[in-house]
Amino acid sequence: MMAVAAFVSLFALLILGTALAAVMDRAAVALASGRPMGAALKEPARRAAALLLRQKVETERPDSITWPLAPVAYLMLAAVGLSVVPFAPGVVVTDISTGIVLWGACEALTVIVVFLHGWSANAPMALIGGYRYVGIGLPVLLLSMFVLIAAALPAESLSVVEIVRAQEAGLWNVVRQPPGLALFLILGLMLTLRGPFDYADAEDLAGGTKAEASGPHRLAWRVARLAMLVSFSAMAATAFLGGYLGPVLPGPLWLVLKTVAVMAAVIAAGHMLARLPPSRMLTTVWVVLLPLSFLVLVLVGVELLLWP
Amino acid sequence: MAVTALVHRLAASAPVPVFAAVGEDGLRAVDRLAVDPRVDLVASPLHAALLLVVGTIRDDDRPELERLHDQLPHPRATVSWGGNAVFEGEAVDGTVDPLPLLSDMHRALMTRARPSEPDLLPNAPPNDWRGKGDFGQGGEGMMGGVPYGRPMPMTDDDMRDGLALDAYSAPFGPFLPQFPAGLTLDLTLQGDVIQQAKVLRPPYPQHESGGAAVALRHVARMLRLLGLPARAERVLHDGPRERLAQTLSRWGAFAAIPPGLGMIDGTDVRGRLRAWCAEAGGGAGPVVEDDGPLTDLLPGLEWHEAVLVLNSLPDAALRRLVPVPKPDDDQGEHKHEHHHDHHHHDHDHGHGEAHG
Repeated sequence: MMAVAAFVSLFALLILGTALAAVMDRAAVALASGRPMGAALKEPARRAAALLLRQKVETERPDSITWPLAPVAYLMLAAVGLSVVPFAPGVVVTDISTGIVLWGACEALTVIVVFLHGWSANAPMALIGGYRYVGIGLPVLLLSMFVLIAAALPAESLSVVEIVRAQEAGLWNVVRQPPGLALFLILGLMLTLRGPFDYADAEDLAGGTKAEASGPHRLAWRVARLAMLVSFSAMAATAFLGGYLGPVLPGPLWLVLKTVAVMAAVIAAGHMLARLPPSRMLTTVWVVLLPLSFLVLVLVGVELLLWP
Repeated sequence: MAVTALVHRLAASAPVPVFAAVGEDGLRAVDRLAVDPRVDLVASPLHAALLLVVGTIRDDDRPELERLHDQLPHPRATVSWGGNAVFEGEAVDGTVDPLPLLSDMHRALMTRARPSEPDLLPNAPPNDWRGKGDFGQGGEGMMGGVPYGRPMPMTDDDMRDGLALDAYSAPFGPFLPQFPAGLTLDLTLQGDVIQQAKVLRPPYPQHESGGAAVALRHVARMLRLLGLPARAERVLHDGPRERLAQTLSRWGAFAAIPPGLGMIDGTDVRGRLRAWCAEAGGGAGPVVEDDGPLTDLLPGLEWHEAVLVLNSLPDAALRRLVPVPKPDDDQGEHKHEHHHDHHHHDHDHGHGEAHG
């Protein structure tokens, strides 16, 4: 019974969340650019329909297995990543003691899938996008691991369910380690190819890995990106904001509200800051952000030693 | 059936995805179109339904324009706006707002009321390779020939960190939206680092005399390349104003650009962006007096940095910094071009034999 509820919740959150993310994305563009807000609600469906009706152009000698598979794999990684998130006490699809590790694997595989998307089109701009993304993605993955282990420390477990329980007994992780959440949001920008961390699909590369994608393929890629945003946001809400915990309202509703809040934060951050050229960003991540994430881990460890 | 009808109706009311091929004096019009919410100016021809040819196109660029046309996914159509009409499509005068026509044509394409334009060129591989060479794959010996239609890339010395990768040479332009319109460069890349740059064709003159509005459009273009397209639109929307540099600082636009990038006459890209901001507020714009060739400036830069350098330069200065290829140079260029006749602009792969 719980398993059925968990599966239903996962797909409901993923599908409705993706639709909401598409609307929020358009609303954010309208807000930042000064366009009228009115169209934001209908525009995602219109754009999706227009993509459905356009031809899927085949490039010259693509890697014909990987090319159509990349958006599908991206979408599936979003679903698998979300499966470790508990929707309510006992309602979780993948209840394993190493949930954080499974999520980490989804992060790493996302970097590979985006690279394959750039690789398989057999075109220069897409390939450069793929390479750049791996270069920046690798240190961001390391950063996210430090931050996630810091979030798991109070629970003394790598199980996502235990991490929520520990936040119920003690403090929410965002209170204990606020820089952790901020650093984790960087991972969100990277995983969803957004704003300052969009090195894969950037405008300077004429769309990067998606430059050669047209019609339904491009729609699939867009949907997968938005689904990953939902998945990431639910994970961030669970690891740092107590997941389904909260007064008065039912647990799953709290999780949804927190997920939407994180989604809004990631979308807003994507429009707020300029993107650094890749080598400059690489230095920034390795020299500033990565040591910072390690510092967060050390501080949480010391804190737990002193006040267990 | 009802679902199909709904999809067609929804698609017809979507923003019109337009790829703009910009010619002489076309940039101003395109920048104006970019802020209209009913139009989506896209970065790749594969994302567009309409090809908008703006301004006068050189005869030299016609083959590239035809290849560009064939990369648009069906259903597609062409609109020529001002300048010389190049394809069948529709043509509008430069003084007329093309938006009603663009909307109507997109609607007609999406509801299948208008037929899609057929390919202009035969769908053939860039080099004939089938059945040639020792194994019928077009290769000769270990690394020679054109295996599967392209020459093999070879490792080359690296100028940055000593990690030698395959060097890749191809012409980029003249309709790459991230480049100044018309500029065609023959670039040798290792990864995303430019090893060598040669000018094939100069940018189109835009005859812009300067002033706040022009400066503002330069600022907006830089913001788009820095990953802030919505902010760029806001800047154009709000119009010329003072203290624009402070606003850009808050968004991290200056901090994002590496100091010393694209240094000409003691001013780098940051400095020129600051000057564009000043000009948008009524001050003085960037001054670029040096006439050293641009091609000396690009080697060693990453793609992203190179694009920022190209877009930081005023139109007149850019044309001065780009040496026009000598006629005998041109001859050699053609031979070279024939050899690597791929990606005449950003994505020409759509032209392979598999392209439907």
